[in-house]
Amino acid sequence: MESARQSPSRGNGIKLALAWGFVGIPLVWGIVQTLVNAIKAFQ
Amino acid sequence: MSVSFLNRERTIAAPGFNRWLIPPAALCVHLCIGQAYAFSVFNLPMTKLIGIAQSAPGDWKLTELGWIFSLAIVFLGASAAVLGRWVEEGGPRRAMFTAALCFAGGFLVSAIGVYLHQLWIIYLGYGVIGGTGLGIAYISPVSTLIRWFPDRPGMATGMAIMGFGGGAFIAAPLSVWLMSRFSTPTHVGVAETFIVMGLIYLCFMMVGAAIVRVPAPGWAPAGYSAPAQPKPLVTTQNVFVYDALKTPQFWLIWWILCLNVTAGIGVLGQASAMSQEMFHGRITAVAASGLVGLFSLFNMMGRFFWSSTSDYIGRKNTYFVFFALGTLLYALVPYTGAIGNIGLFVLCYAVIFSMYGGGFATVPAYLRDMFGTRYVGAIHGLLLTAWSMAGVFGPVLVNYIREYNVTHGVAAAQAYNVTMYLMAGLLVIGFICNLFVRSVHERFHMRAVEAEAEVEAAPVFGSE
Repeated sequence: MESARQSPSRGNGIKLALAWGFVGIPLVWGIVQTLVNAIKAFQ
Repeated sequence: MSVSFLNRERTIAAPGFNRWLIPPAALCVHLCIGQAYAFSVFNLPMTKLIGIAQSAPGDWKLTELGWIFSLAIVFLGASAAVLGRWVEEGGPRRAMFTAALCFAGGFLVSAIGVYLHQLWIIYLGYGVIGGTGLGIAYISPVSTLIRWFPDRPGMATGMAIMGFGGGAFIAAPLSVWLMSRFSTPTHVGVAETFIVMGLIYLCFMMVGAAIVRVPAPGWAPAGYSAPAQPKPLVTTQNVFVYDALKTPQFWLIWWILCLNVTAGIGVLGQASAMSQEMFHGRITAVAASGLVGLFSLFNMMGRFFWSSTSDYIGRKNTYFVFFALGTLLYALVPYTGAIGNIGLFVLCYAVIFSMYGGGFATVPAYLRDMFGTRYVGAIHGLLLTAWSMAGVFGPVLVNYIREYNVTHGVAAAQAYNVTMYLMAGLLVIGFICNLFVRSVHERFHMRAVEAEAEVEAAPVFGSE
């Protein structure tokens, strides 16, 4: 099996940050909303 | 006619491509289709499309609206089973692109149904077209993730399937907020919400389709080398999708998934009512809804946690944990009600739901271990019929047993005890099924000639 070396370049880093932010921010927002509602329910 | 942008050749990654871009691509798709779990937020507003403040004669009933979700889940299972091979051979981008058109199209068609107040158009839109999109989207990134992460296949697929669990967290508040923005004293705002959500999901899923790549033939992660000695219960061979159906392993895993999901889904829908009746006067309806949100979080996190754990302890052992610990916890729940210990009840349920999600997320890697990577997505599609079956059996079992108990004079607080013991019994059967899982017999393995012929038939596929 041939191995391809992955050197995390600056460009790759920006792409990664954008891609993970694109999915991560809405998910975190949704989780926070759920937790806030859960806390409200117990108050 | 094919669009070249969608072809598998166009998705082969260039040298230096970072494989950690693939999980976000998968999440773009799974976070969107996870909306299905939050579809119920539309049910009540759709019963008041004519009456606005309250249901009027001619408004749809909740029982009629319940069929929208059921149809979507049926078409999810059917399309995943029927189109699995097409998804596998055409590559992830074509599948994600098609899924995006179907899922978003389902919303747009449903908006027309709401506008014209024709329920059958919504059945067709969200149920049939959207449900087909759900099935294609669910399996589209599975084999791609497994190929990019041969060292951590459980974690990789767990991340995507965690997205399916997490999609509802985004969809529920977003739907409620959009409906509040579009509603007026004479209008509920469901049709506009469907249009906006359809367009948002179309864009989001298209981003996933644009990012996704398949590894070049022969690619392996830096520093990774395939184990010299094959691990027990992890094959290096491939099994053709329809040959997998002839193996006892496929059906054992089918039952493993079906039983794990039946037990989980049965109590999932009843968690709110069960907690209120078991702790009458101590857990209110509002608190119960908060608990359900909390359990859903454990369902989502369990998908990542357990599938990642399975990379270290093995798939078979992970399911042994689900079935052994699950049996214990299901049997313990009635006791928590008897001693009135809410904390212990919540803890039991949190772990149960984490294992329910974990069962979904670990199964693609279990299939990969048994049948190889070549057709794992298509085989996974066939296996999802177990989910459809469990979706019917689980709630029916819980509802009917509770009803039987209540009509025979059992107090509401104890009405769930038999159900929980029955679910524990189902998990014991699952444990036994898991015990019988062995490596697939070599007569089912694809021969080199067959594998080459398959590659020629689907020249865009890169064999590792």
